[in-house]
Amino acid sequence: MKLLLIEDEKALATSIQNYFQRENFICEWAADYETAIEKINIYQYDCVLVDIMLPDGDGLNAVKELKRKFPQTGIIIISAKNSLDDRIEGLNLGSDDYLTKPFHLSELNARVQAVIRRRSFQGNQQIRFGKIVIEPQEHFVSVEGQEIILTRKEYDLLIYLIANKNRVLTKESIAEHLWGDDADLMDNFDFIYTHIKNLRKKLMDKDCPDYLRSIYGVGYKFSEQ
Amino acid sequence: MKLLVQILRYQLVTSMLVLFLGAGLFYVSVRYLIDREVNKELFQSQVKVRWQLRHLETLPVYILQLGDSLQMEEVRYPGKMLVRETFMLNLAENEYQPYRQLVFYERALGQWYRVTISKLLLQRQRLMEAVVMTVTFIVALLLVSLLLLNSWLSRRLWKPFYKTLGKLDQYQIQQHETLRFEREQTLEFDQLNQAVTQLTSRIATAYQNLKEFTENASHEIQTPLAVILSKIEGLFQDETLTESQLVTLSSVSEAANRLGRLNQALLLLTKIENRQFLAGTEPVNLVPIINGKLRDLEDLIVKREISIQTELQPVGLVIHPALAEILVNNLLTNAIRHNVEKGKIIIILRERFLSVRNTGKTLNANPEQLFERFRKESTLSASLGLGLALVKTICEVNGQTLKYDIDNEWHSLTVSW
Repeated sequence: MKLLLIEDEKALATSIQNYFQRENFICEWAADYETAIEKINIYQYDCVLVDIMLPDGDGLNAVKELKRKFPQTGIIIISAKNSLDDRIEGLNLGSDDYLTKPFHLSELNARVQAVIRRRSFQGNQQIRFGKIVIEPQEHFVSVEGQEIILTRKEYDLLIYLIANKNRVLTKESIAEHLWGDDADLMDNFDFIYTHIKNLRKKLMDKDCPDYLRSIYGVGYKFSEQ
Repeated sequence: MKLLVQILRYQLVTSMLVLFLGAGLFYVSVRYLIDREVNKELFQSQVKVRWQLRHLETLPVYILQLGDSLQMEEVRYPGKMLVRETFMLNLAENEYQPYRQLVFYERALGQWYRVTISKLLLQRQRLMEAVVMTVTFIVALLLVSLLLLNSWLSRRLWKPFYKTLGKLDQYQIQQHETLRFEREQTLEFDQLNQAVTQLTSRIATAYQNLKEFTENASHEIQTPLAVILSKIEGLFQDETLTESQLVTLSSVSEAANRLGRLNQALLLLTKIENRQFLAGTEPVNLVPIINGKLRDLEDLIVKREISIQTELQPVGLVIHPALAEILVNNLLTNAIRHNVEKGKIIIILRERFLSVRNTGKTLNANPEQLFERFRKESTLSASLGLGLALVKTICEVNGQTLKYDIDNEWHSLTVSW
């Protein structure tokens, strides 16, 4: 998978690049509008991450340019602006998603994967992890052919865990992924624990190995070992 | 009161005053002239009478052609000559009429006589009537012409003023527009329009600057925060970290997350206060928003075993849709956060109000202080303390009223419009 990151903040760009490299993605970086346009014209990307506030040009223009040349490329806008106007304009121009800074890299990762999944194979791609198979279109989850009935939150949680497999996920990032702006309602993180416990139980009932490991004081890790 | 009505009022009072004063002056001066004329005639008669009396011996006695009454009485001593006014009964018309009399003394044939010549002053009464009538007529004429003039003035002369006023009334700062006007012939209105144009362009610039500042401040703070969070997340993946280092890192991460949410909430509050969310013209139906929000919060409600009772009519208020979401969201999360285990929430939406009632602990603070920023009744650290401040600001900006009531264990927040 090939990504292009258009972001003027070097420190942030490095973090994002490192994160995606671990995912075995090729993540190229353009620090300004000009470089971005240059790169867009030379290579083809699966997904482009655009900061719409660039020093030498409006990132929205880059989105327009991309949309014109490579309509099949996925676009995610990352911006410190969460003004409604920008959000709506960005989505109207054909960006697939909009993420407001600051965000969790794990969240960005999950969204990038969702966009790529939707774009390639018209979203019919299965998600596989160990013994778990998910049909994202039908929200259908099975372990070795046996269907598992999950609640909406449990399903979201599972998708999120698989998208960020082999990584330490903080409780805050899980809470924000599941409840968004209401995350601060989760007075302590017992609540996430309840969901995790239920999900784990449903999976193990169907003879699925326990992939989930709790990291003391931090969060969880979903991996095959 | 309208400006023109006020002007008319002053004009009327002043012109009445001037007219009545003028009428008085007119009356006094005409009367003075008439009196002088009458006195002159009286003195002429006196000369005639004197001459007649002095030549009684030589001239034949004939009736003096004075036209007025002449009285002669014998007196022993002469007195001083005087002119006076008196009322006498006119037998023919049976009424008292004003007379001017000249009284003097004259000696004839060794005998003193007091001679009185009287002149009727009826003209003066007529004059009075004429003056009153004329003044009344002029007043009526003036009144009508002033009314006509004013309505004409308001249509013609004051038209630019009302045009400017209308534009100012419609002015909305969020649209960043500078009011522009055509050139007016009246200097003052032209100046007013220029002043308004300058003022609105300054306001538009200031507003734009403020908006940009808020946005930029947000950008400037969010970006370093994003860097911090991404670096922390990178560190978490480092498997060489010890448990205690991970725990420390975790609290750094929590604090940074909180800072990010706080910044966004404050920005939202500022934006609402800057009225950057304009209400449309159509009411936003709150029922789908409430139901959607209840669905989002479902697991939380189930976990705390809170029972929800709703009584919703498909109505809503005129508001920006994003604000409607925030309003409902904050009211509901507030009701859940401050609820007790196995508590209740009653949501009522009617034609003119939305009321959210929840069971909860008794309140220690003054209810009004609940709406202050960073006011926390509970010590739950996850709460930012901005929820109700946001609700209050939204209500203020949109012209709704927010009321808090407490009845034993029941707390209720009502938004009415």
